[in-house]
Amino acid sequence: MTELTLQIPRINDDPADFRTLAQLWEQVRVAGDGVEVRFDFSQCGFLRPNAVVFLGGLARVIGDRGGKARFDVATMRGDVRTNLEQNGFAHAMGADLPPWKGNSIPYREDFQQDEDGVVEYLKDNWLGRGWVNVSHELVNAIAGQMWEIYANAFEHSGSRVGVLSCGQYFRQRRELVLAVADFGVGIPSNARFHAGNAELSGEEAMQWAFVRGTSTAQKPGPRGMGLDLLKDFMRVSHGVLVIYSHDGYARIDERGETYQNSPAFFEGTLVQVTLRCDDTYYSLSNEVDSAPYF
Amino acid sequence: MQHIAVKELVGENAMTLDDGEAIFNQIHDPLARGETVELDFDGVEIFASPFFNAGIGRLLADFQPDILNSHLIFQHMSALGDGVLRRVIANAKEYYAASPEHRQTIDRIVHETAAVM
Repeated sequence: MTELTLQIPRINDDPADFRTLAQLWEQVRVAGDGVEVRFDFSQCGFLRPNAVVFLGGLARVIGDRGGKARFDVATMRGDVRTNLEQNGFAHAMGADLPPWKGNSIPYREDFQQDEDGVVEYLKDNWLGRGWVNVSHELVNAIAGQMWEIYANAFEHSGSRVGVLSCGQYFRQRRELVLAVADFGVGIPSNARFHAGNAELSGEEAMQWAFVRGTSTAQKPGPRGMGLDLLKDFMRVSHGVLVIYSHDGYARIDERGETYQNSPAFFEGTLVQVTLRCDDTYYSLSNEVDSAPYF
Repeated sequence: MQHIAVKELVGENAMTLDDGEAIFNQIHDPLARGETVELDFDGVEIFASPFFNAGIGRLLADFQPDILNSHLIFQHMSALGDGVLRRVIANAKEYYAASPEHRQTIDRIVHETAAVM
């Protein structure tokens, strides 16, 4: 079996870090099928959740292509290793040690849609750990909004390696991060097809996908609300939504919407949501509208 | 009048297309017969757009808005569900307001995509 070594550096969540992740994917793509890939962490001091889900997905892509992923534990710094063991990533990749509770939200792989499992994961492991000062109703609202991300991935991506997620609580910044990845067809290529315009740039395709009513759904009928609802939720919750998908990039925050061509290409979608840990940031309405629905 | 407890059909989480279709299948025919349907969301805690698209938005293909306003009653809807439902309905009205030819084109493309993926 051909061998490839991937050098994993410190990976945060800036565009430069995404370029790093995309370059790792590119190395695996170029190596072809049936390759044994060793992940070397000797240069790695830190991995954000987006990097954890990306590396997990990459390992599954390698396996899907008849290869083998090997995480070289001997090259890991103590804190990196502890983090990957604590969040269950190591266990998912074959280590005996089961995960335990800490500041990380467990690494999770879904190969088919399991809405109740995802909601339980979000409510118990992400929102229900006492880190976020929000009401029961707001927990439900956030879980529903986060489900829109999973629903998009399950319905549109066609990912052969499922949907991967992981999160972390950053105590000093009082931020809660959730990262979700798939290795499917991506938002821009879906958008180009459904918009009937193969010439859309990554920037234009991402912008198209965030407009209400536009959808890449595979069944007829009214659709296309998920990203639109998510966009509004970020605005009222002062959160940040960042998406890298194929050649497209989108960032939604309280200052507005940014769509660009992605700094690098990878075949899939990487979503990161950052939420504030205090309900004073959330201005959701508690009132039911009395106007007719239709 | 038909009374349907949504929680009994889909549980506490009303989020998926499949759950929405289950609701649609329960309410479409009674509405077509001119009956009034009460959809009771008591105990349902989480809502997402795929559920409402498949369960409620699709009704606008077959029923006029005034018929739905008078014959489809939502009970115990939380503010969260109310907000998502209203957005989905507004979107569905736009979708079905498009010309039949335009809709057919959209649906044909969607269908063909599903066939090749």
